[in-house]
Amino acid sequence: MGDNRLRSAGIFVAACVCGIASGLFGIGGGVFLVPFLALFFAFGQHRAQGTSLIALIPPTGLLAFIAYAKAGYVSWQAGLLLVPGVFVGGILGSWLAKRLDPRHMRHVFAGLMFALGAWQAFTAWRH
Amino acid sequence: MVVAGCIQTREDKGDDFVDGKARAEGNRHSVMSLIVLLLGLGVGVLVGLLGIGGGVVLVPALVYLLRMDQHVAQGTSLFILLPPLGLGALREYWKQGQVDVRAGILCAFGILAGGYLGGWIAVPLESRQLRGLFGCFLMLAAVLLWRKPQPQNQKTGSASEAPARG
Repeated sequence: MGDNRLRSAGIFVAACVCGIASGLFGIGGGVFLVPFLALFFAFGQHRAQGTSLIALIPPTGLLAFIAYAKAGYVSWQAGLLLVPGVFVGGILGSWLAKRLDPRHMRHVFAGLMFALGAWQAFTAWRH
Repeated sequence: MVVAGCIQTREDKGDDFVDGKARAEGNRHSVMSLIVLLLGLGVGVLVGLLGIGGGVVLVPALVYLLRMDQHVAQGTSLFILLPPLGLGALREYWKQGQVDVRAGILCAFGILAGGYLGGWIAVPLESRQLRGLFGCFLMLAAVLLWRKPQPQNQKTGSASEAPARG
């Protein structure tokens, strides 16, 4: 019982760390939550992703979003235009995932993302 | 139709999402709106295909393609992630019993609280500093994405590629 409680507290702390990343970088948090659950709490990959998805159903970014909105850091028009695209694109992507081998695509994409991150960090440091 | 309507009303208010020049020409404005719509579609495809989060792709896309400020890009990304876009994917996991509801609720509260703290840190930062931090974060996320383990069994392979928003 005590062990169970400790595990719950650990999951909560890990989620808080994901939340900080979410607010700091304007993302959902699943990118960190899934590996955290899998690595530290012995969740299987599917269970980690399913749990991450249910954790992100409520608007968890709301408090962070309010902080940005108060400072005037939200482009409402671009946001409203992007929502339908992301939704339809997501369905299209799941459909494609059944027909393509996503493993290679993921590696290509991870490489691209790394290069993009390095470029961003470099330009920020240079100016 | 709804989208077209919202372009119209936003145009009246003079709200812009690129810079002052885009606002000056109505024609160019609609072209930009079309680009944003297509961008959303492209981001969505990547989300569904690779099982990665929309925000990780959206923020750099908004910064580099739409020349948005780092802060505005992150705020807009948080705005897009408010509706539960992952519901469809969750259904697949739910059918297979791959959801730990109790842990999920704990995580939701943790992310909510942490998000407040993160926003509190990010807003006063200089755009340049934030961009540098985001770059480092992107590299870390790329490493995590690369190392993501294979699905244990072929039958559920496609479900494992469904979005885990981040």
